Amino acid sequence: MRSSSLALALALLLAACSSPASAPAGNTVKIGMDFPLSGAEAAVGQPIANGAILAIEQANAAGFAGGKFKIEADTLDDTTQGLHDPAQGAQNAKTLIGDPAVLAIIGPYNSNVAKAEIPLTNDAQLAQLSPAATADSLTIGDGAKALRQSHPDLVTFFRTCTRDSEQGAALAHFAQTLHLWHVFIVDDNETYGLDLADAFAASAKSDGLTVLGHEHLAAHQQDFKALLTKIAAAHPDLVFFGGVTTTGGALLRRQMPDAGLGNVPFFGGDGIASDDFLKTAGAAADGTYWTIAAPDVNRLGSAREFVAAYRKRFKSEPIGYSAAAYTATQIALAAIAKGIGSDGTLPARATVVADVAATKGFSSPIGIVGFDANGDTTAPVLTLQHVKAAKIETVDVYTVK
Amino acid sequence: MSLIAQQIVNGLALGGIYALIALGYTMVFGIIELINFAHGDVYTLGTFFSLAILGLLGATGELHGPFLIVAVVVTLVLAMVLSGLVGVIIERLAYRPLRNAPRLAPLITAIGVSFILQNLMIYWHGPSPLPFPQILPNPTYAIGPVQIAAKQAFVIVLAVVLMIVLQLFVTKTKLGAAMRATAQDRDAARLMGIDVNATIALTFFIGSALAGAAGFVSGVYYGTTWFFNGFAAGLKAFTAAVLGGIGNIAGAMLGGFAIGLVESLTTQLLSDQWSNIVVFALLVVVLIFRPTGLLGESLPTKA
Repeated sequence: MRSSSLALALALLLAACSSPASAPAGNTVKIGMDFPLSGAEAAVGQPIANGAILAIEQANAAGFAGGKFKIEADTLDDTTQGLHDPAQGAQNAKTLIGDPAVLAIIGPYNSNVAKAEIPLTNDAQLAQLSPAATADSLTIGDGAKALRQSHPDLVTFFRTCTRDSEQGAALAHFAQTLHLWHVFIVDDNETYGLDLADAFAASAKSDGLTVLGHEHLAAHQQDFKALLTKIAAAHPDLVFFGGVTTTGGALLRRQMPDAGLGNVPFFGGDGIASDDFLKTAGAAADGTYWTIAAPDVNRLGSAREFVAAYRKRFKSEPIGYSAAAYTATQIALAAIAKGIGSDGTLPARATVVADVAATKGFSSPIGIVGFDANGDTTAPVLTLQHVKAAKIETVDVYTVK
Repeated sequence: MSLIAQQIVNGLALGGIYALIALGYTMVFGIIELINFAHGDVYTLGTFFSLAILGLLGATGELHGPFLIVAVVVTLVLAMVLSGLVGVIIERLAYRPLRNAPRLAPLITAIGVSFILQNLMIYWHGPSPLPFPQILPNPTYAIGPVQIAAKQAFVIVLAVVLMIVLQLFVTKTKLGAAMRATAQDRDAARLMGIDVNATIALTFFIGSALAGAAGFVSGVYYGTTWFFNGFAAGLKAFTAAVLGGIGNIAGAMLGGFAIGLVESLTTQLLSDQWSNIVVFALLVVVLIFRPTGLLGESLPTKA
């Protein structure tokens, strides 16, 4: 009795295991997505996901692979308790990997979520394209290799955004042009925030700026009076923040005037570039500068059509990463289309990875893009913005050399 | 040296908020031995109520003269009453039906209530942080080498006044005596003619009202709020209650101020990222040598 039920269980297990190996049934291709879609980061996550959704809808309207296949988005949310959660991201990646119809994943937004997902998608040899995760360690060096546990030499993670080291360098250079020589650095102690702060610190030192101090925040803090008192005593010309709006960026700026630091410029990366930052920091937001690791779509001739289509479809304004997500999705779809056999069979996941990696000279709203050997974009662009009279103004758009 | 004095002021203001929240934990634990994990969210709800009341009063910016005093008093009192009522409702719906259930059951419902409150706040104002109107003018007063901002003085003074009122209420009034009696021995209290259910509800009302006051104060002090703030603040305040001796009202105050001070001094002398570690390390050390907290549990153990 016991052994027969065990055999039955084994048979069931084998049947369950064998089905994903066979070619995906039906004529549906799925693009998995993972972004923060609820909680405080939905304000950024949703417009990014919208960019990808727009690309999918356009491909369906045009008839994907001659109309033989229908593309579906499987959109998952990596938020728990109102904030992005690496554990939830990993869970989502497992869900998407478990669905044989998923041939590529677009996402995530946060670098620490990417860190939790890359080992899984690499193991499944599933192409993952992030429009917004900017930490260097995701694609560069031994750290990136360690993330690719199963296939260290196979790059399965690609991104259409610019790396933190470029953001840090641009911000340090900009501080120099404003003659802000003495800087105090704060970060939120997460993958992205640390990476950005370290990149800024390195560039600041080589640009001849003096780093007065570098503090890492404790998680879930509401009171920054003590830290700001300490910072004020060091008399900085500039406070740099590595992190996102919700991990302390907005509150730190909001409380700076109370510590006598109201007139000191505040610098940050794309993590604080949001309307939520303006809302939370209130009047104190003025004098903040940040970079976005994507172009300002309103300044780009190549993005005009995209911006118009986005406005029409979603009745709202796209952000820079919406275009990056749109581009990432188009690249994934092009790679899938390329792999469809003459007999109409869908490509294996590994084939999609190879075709994404081989992307070169791809014409998109954010310019002519391709991927280098690490999976980084070959056309990195940065937008520098400034908060002035409670409005966001674009100062400059750089093409990183 | 003046920097250290400055950090002590920062720590006292932060500690005042922790202490007000800690009082609710310690009062509820004292009377029904429940750790009310939803208490931190009642604190955040207090800020949300204050925001709504200030909105009704039309107070969007800095206020002056009599209107400032009226707005502060009205908002504080209403936020306390509303938060207190929320506490009573929580007790009635989520804890009273489980009063004789195994200990673990109300603990789990407490966590459930915490999630419900958080999601109600998301439903109310969305998941993003919210600005809180800067109603208080904020001049800084120099006392020797130390700068005290008006907002900091407001937080510290209000916290101390509320604590003194609470202490007088608990020790000098009949209702306070009923609370102490119920905490000591519920059955004996009932035999003496004390309405135990009403007394427990009153305890929840007062504890939650103090959290509501802390919510108003934190809105004024920080100028922002967020539905998730109660999680971290509640955890720290709970730690304060345990550090001071859970069930002991003076202990909760002491614990709150102690944690605020340790946090701000750690930030100054070591680094911000160490503040939580030092606070919890201190808690462990205190509990090893004094398992009942700094001031011990003032309640006699039950037979």
